[in-house]
Amino acid sequence: MKIVIAGGTHDAEYLVQMFNTRKNKLIVINNDPVESNLILKREKVAVYTGDPWRYYVLEESGSKNADILVSLLDNDVDNYATCILAKNCFGIKKCICVVNNPRNVELYKTLGIDTVVSATYLLGQTVKSESSVEDLIKTLSIENDKIIMVEVPVLAKYAIAGKKIMDIKFPKYASISCIYRDPTVVIPNGQVELKVRDKLLLVCAPEDEKKLRAFITKEKED
Amino acid sequence: MRNKTLVVGCGRLGAAIAAEASVKGGNVVIVDKNAVSFDRLSDTFSGYKIVADLTDIAALEDLGPKDFKEAVISTGNDNLNLFIANVLEKVYEVPHIYVRFDDPDKSLLLKGYSNIMPIYPFELSHANYLKLKSEAAKK
Repeated sequence: MKIVIAGGTHDAEYLVQMFNTRKNKLIVINNDPVESNLILKREKVAVYTGDPWRYYVLEESGSKNADILVSLLDNDVDNYATCILAKNCFGIKKCICVVNNPRNVELYKTLGIDTVVSATYLLGQTVKSESSVEDLIKTLSIENDKIIMVEVPVLAKYAIAGKKIMDIKFPKYASISCIYRDPTVVIPNGQVELKVRDKLLLVCAPEDEKKLRAFITKEKED
Repeated sequence: MRNKTLVVGCGRLGAAIAAEASVKGGNVVIVDKNAVSFDRLSDTFSGYKIVADLTDIAALEDLGPKDFKEAVISTGNDNLNLFIANVLEKVYEVPHIYVRFDDPDKSLLLKGYSNIMPIYPFELSHANYLKLKSEAAKK
């Protein structure tokens, strides 16, 4: 893989260490001459010194048609400009943009950047998923939040516990992709009975998550 | 209703454009991240002066961007100019966006943006130089 690492300090060094193998071709660009020298000395890779958001810098550093570009500059808009340039003019397949302001995550995606990473945003997401562990349901989003996977343990109080899948009128907007029944994995069909302590792995669209949770966790009426 | 003119960056160019639009009776909002920059504005300016850093989308939202019929963007940072222009077109659908870029290569990044009209001081100076030179040669 051809990987371009633009800007950054210790984060750039870490990525260089991680990906500097025979399989990868690394292109390291840094706008700070001091940092460029440090990376060169510590990691023994060639570093191109220049502003990665400039056309000639990406051109001269040989970044054309790279597989991935990671933009680690201090300033959000500089990362934005670098990714847009890489995407529009250099045919770089995936651009990963690091931002400080978590609100830029969604915004930059709508403006055409593949992957936007914000430490604060990730922190928020982690807090969110940790807090729903409280009610034992974990959610994982796939394909930039277009699909989500929900993991739910079957509790004895749930209406679905002890019933066959064919009998519970499982909603059409979701599907049970598998059932984890320690230590085995059960592939679901209509005849399978949902037992207490089973873990269901469900797939649905994000807008249906609430409905799905409500359906699964509906308690028995006595 | 779209009836306001937004000017981002109160440098020489921004200040001049804002003052002109204001004198002509326009509803003008000028934004700069330093309050000191507003000293450049002439006394005839009667619009809003707002101190804000538009790298933050929240600051842009506070301005009510859906009311802008046109925007003139001329901060000293090309990348910021590009970003603000892209957001104003894609997110807020501002119909006329004039942007100054020091780096003429930025023209490569405006594909797919039809409301953005770039201004390149480099090209203008260069064209002017060639014109003056050919005039001088005739004398």
